[in-house]
Amino acid sequence: MSTNAAKNLFIYGSLLCFIVLVVLTIDTMGKLDQRAPEITEKVDAGKKVWHKYDCIGCHTILGNGSYFAPDMTKTTERKPKTYLIKFLIDPRSIKPDSAMPKLGITEKEADDLIEFLVWISKVDTNGWPPKPILAVAATSRAASPGQMIFQKYDCSACHQIQGLGGAAGPELTHAGSKQPDAEWHVRHLKDPASTVKNSAMPDFAHLSNEELNALAEYLVTLK
Amino acid sequence: MRYQSHKIALNFYTAAVLLFLVQVAVGIIAALQFIWPDFFILNFNTIRTLHINALVVWLLLGMMGATYYVVTEESETELWSIPLAQFQFWATVLAVGAVVVGYIVMGLNPQANMEVFGTRLLNEGREYIEAPRWADILIVVSVLLFLFNSLMTVLKTKKFTAVQGVLLGGLTFLALMYIPGMFYTKSMVKDQFWWWWVVHLWVEGSWELIAAALLAFMLHKLLGADVKVLAKWMYIETGLVLFTGILGLGHHYYWIGTPEYWLWVGGIFSSLEPIPLLVMVWDAFRTTRETRGVVQNKVGLYYTVAHAIFNFVGAGLWGVVHTIPQVNKWTHGTQITTAHGHLAFYGAYVLLILSMMYVTLPLIRGAKDFNQSRGYQAFWWMTISMVFIVITITGAGMVQAYLERLLGLDYVTVKADYNLWFWIFRAIFGVGFLIGAAIIVKDYFTIGKEKAAAVSGAAERA
Ligand code: HEC
Ligand code: HEC
Ligand code: HEM
Ligand code: HEM
Ligand SMILES: [Fe+2]
Repeated sequence: MSTNAAKNLFIYGSLLCFIVLVVLTIDTMGKLDQRAPEITEKVDAGKKVWHKYDCIGCHTILGNGSYFAPDMTKTTERKPKTYLIKFLIDPRSIKPDSAMPKLGITEKEADDLIEFLVWISKVDTNGWPPKPILAVAATSRAASPGQMIFQKYDCSACHQIQGLGGAAGPELTHAGSKQPDAEWHVRHLKDPASTVKNSAMPDFAHLSNEELNALAEYLVTLK
Repeated sequence: MRYQSHKIALNFYTAAVLLFLVQVAVGIIAALQFIWPDFFILNFNTIRTLHINALVVWLLLGMMGATYYVVTEESETELWSIPLAQFQFWATVLAVGAVVVGYIVMGLNPQANMEVFGTRLLNEGREYIEAPRWADILIVVSVLLFLFNSLMTVLKTKKFTAVQGVLLGGLTFLALMYIPGMFYTKSMVKDQFWWWWVVHLWVEGSWELIAAALLAFMLHKLLGADVKVLAKWMYIETGLVLFTGILGLGHHYYWIGTPEYWLWVGGIFSSLEPIPLLVMVWDAFRTTRETRGVVQNKVGLYYTVAHAIFNFVGAGLWGVVHTIPQVNKWTHGTQITTAHGHLAFYGAYVLLILSMMYVTLPLIRGAKDFNQSRGYQAFWWMTISMVFIVITITGAGMVQAYLERLLGLDYVTVKADYNLWFWIFRAIFGVGFLIGAAIIVKDYFTIGKEKAAAVSGAAERA
């Protein structure tokens, strides 16, 4: 190949590729709105707060950003709004060893942020983040009634037992040693805030008494 | 000094190496914050912003210095306007300084990051392009002045060499690709879509064009290789870079809310991206083998060939392993990405700019002979440390992908418990890298200034 031929191939080939990219971009832009819920004013306000505090400097969202803190794409799917708002305003008041600093987020800003995070959790991401395919093997051991209720209400979104589960609340591997009174657990589940000062745990008052008792029975066995 | 204009190139180089040192020092703070989050008065996000912005800015400054040098050499004339270049240099330094102060203020008091005319005053809150809008505009003006000055220089003598064409073409592409990052979108999906135009089309598009052009320039300078042959291979390389890289952009559109066809487009084209990088390695070796002249500046050639190799390893290999959707689904947004980011930037661009400095500095300062041993020392301190940082972080990434993505363990648990030792080792190797970078800076200020006797004395001892 002559130098000139190589040059022409480079110039015209690249232009062609770029044109294809522009066409695909236009097509994509036309399809995005069907793949995500409507953007309300609150969602937009939340996005602006996201930029204001440079959340992306620690977190990823849609998997892009910094790798210092958990991904924010599906946060609101497993954690209730009440908990998240308290956390955003002052992380260490509810989780003393949190690596997230208090940034000065106001209540309104936190509210908008949640709205934004709910929006992002509903974007069609082609199935990302994937379900942990090996997790089933680790959790499906024969379960007691209390254990099943623990799974049903996704307590492990915030609590760890034997290394599995989230880290938003205290580890429960030895919850029974720490608090052996089943009554206390029922009271705590029904209304955490009146049992533990400043608790950010959501209440489970909507559970039936049987469920609450079974859960408490299970918790006190964790020694 | 053949041309007065080369003084300007030196200004840019000086600012670049100093920022390099800052970047690495700040990287170590970031690494320590993985172990102790409250290690420093500024939070991790501010430190990280400083780390990656310093990186991008010093590489750009290095490219500008290199370009001012190349353009005067190839056009065989002084710059069109030296005062304009001087002004552009100081204006850039001032603007960068203001942005840095802004980041620090925002880090100390996030409320200072006010909204002004619909944009943020101090920090835009978008990775890599954190610089606020007013700074974006200044950056664009600076780059335009720089391009204008370079272009007018070429027009002065009308020696349209292939190297100048691709170099200035790449820089123009670079300037244009900054624009998609300069407007606000309400949708986070669109935000990231356009953000990747900037980030990806820079490092896997325009910057690779600049790298290919500078590679050809350096091989010619060092070895006296035939310009025609170099030019032909340069066009083949840049052609392949863009045929694979432009649509390879799709590897960032798998999971951000964009349609499914990007899985095919991105997967196929980005898998081919290592090919041009391999051709560059071959190009460097072939040219070295075929030209039998005595190489004066051995350390310059060393860096040039190392750049080609690590460009391929860091960008090509460490990129391709996680680029197909079936793999990326599990590794996306994990430490695997960090490992790749470090080796790619180091191999492709840090070594590129350092090679340009080693090739041109002795020429600019008129040092026929200089103590080359420091250059090798710096190289090995940096390269061994970087390779170990990357191995460490690849390990952390594999543990993270397995425990978090496959087993469903919590992010915080994996980071704080399972990966702790990886963070500790990264910080230690970071210090090794800092030593290498410090030797570079020392060497930069020494080359061509040491007395001849001291040089030969050192050479005998070496
Ligand atoms: C300095 C780094 C940093 C910044 C800035 C930061 N975060 Fe965090 N964030 C963390 C870390 C680290 C965690 C991990 C949990 C922990 O250690 O408590 C976290 C946890 C969270 C959680 C809880 C996640 C969960 O699943 O329990 C939310 C929600 C959150 N961050 C939102 C935000 C938002 C919104 C912003 C911007 C306003 C932000 N963060 C800014 C570091 C940061
Ligand atoms: C959104 C997060 C969240 C969810 C979901 C959650 N918790 Fe909690 N939990 C917390 C927090 C925060 C605390 C610490 C404050 C407190 O003790 O109330 C806590 C505390 C506890 C404690 C006391 C532990 C101790 O060491 O003091 C128990 C027991 C407990 N939770 C059980 C449960 C059970 C059972 C469920 C499911 C039905 C559940 N939690 C769901 C956040 C959560
Ligand atoms: C030439 C230089 C290159 C540089 C400097 C570079 C740099 C980077 C950086 C810094 C990131 C992370 C971006 C972020 O922080 O969010 C990234 C992501 C990525 N790069 Fe590269 N890259 C290069 C080339 C390549 C090549 C050739 C490939 C593929 C063959 C590749 C594949 C990827 C992929 C798949 C990701 C996304 C990772 C994820 O999903 O989290 N890169 N690159
Ligand atoms: C010239 C050398 C270096 C280059 C080119 C470089 C480049 C980068 C880039 C591109 C990023 C952001 C993208 C990403 O996380 O993928 C980054 C982040 C980071 N760098 Fe560096 N870096 C260098 C040296 C160092 C050193 C010596 C250290 C310290 C040990 C360090 C520590 C970090 C840390 C901790 C992050 C944050 C990563 C994360 O979010 O998980 N870097 N660096
Ligand atoms: Fe890319």
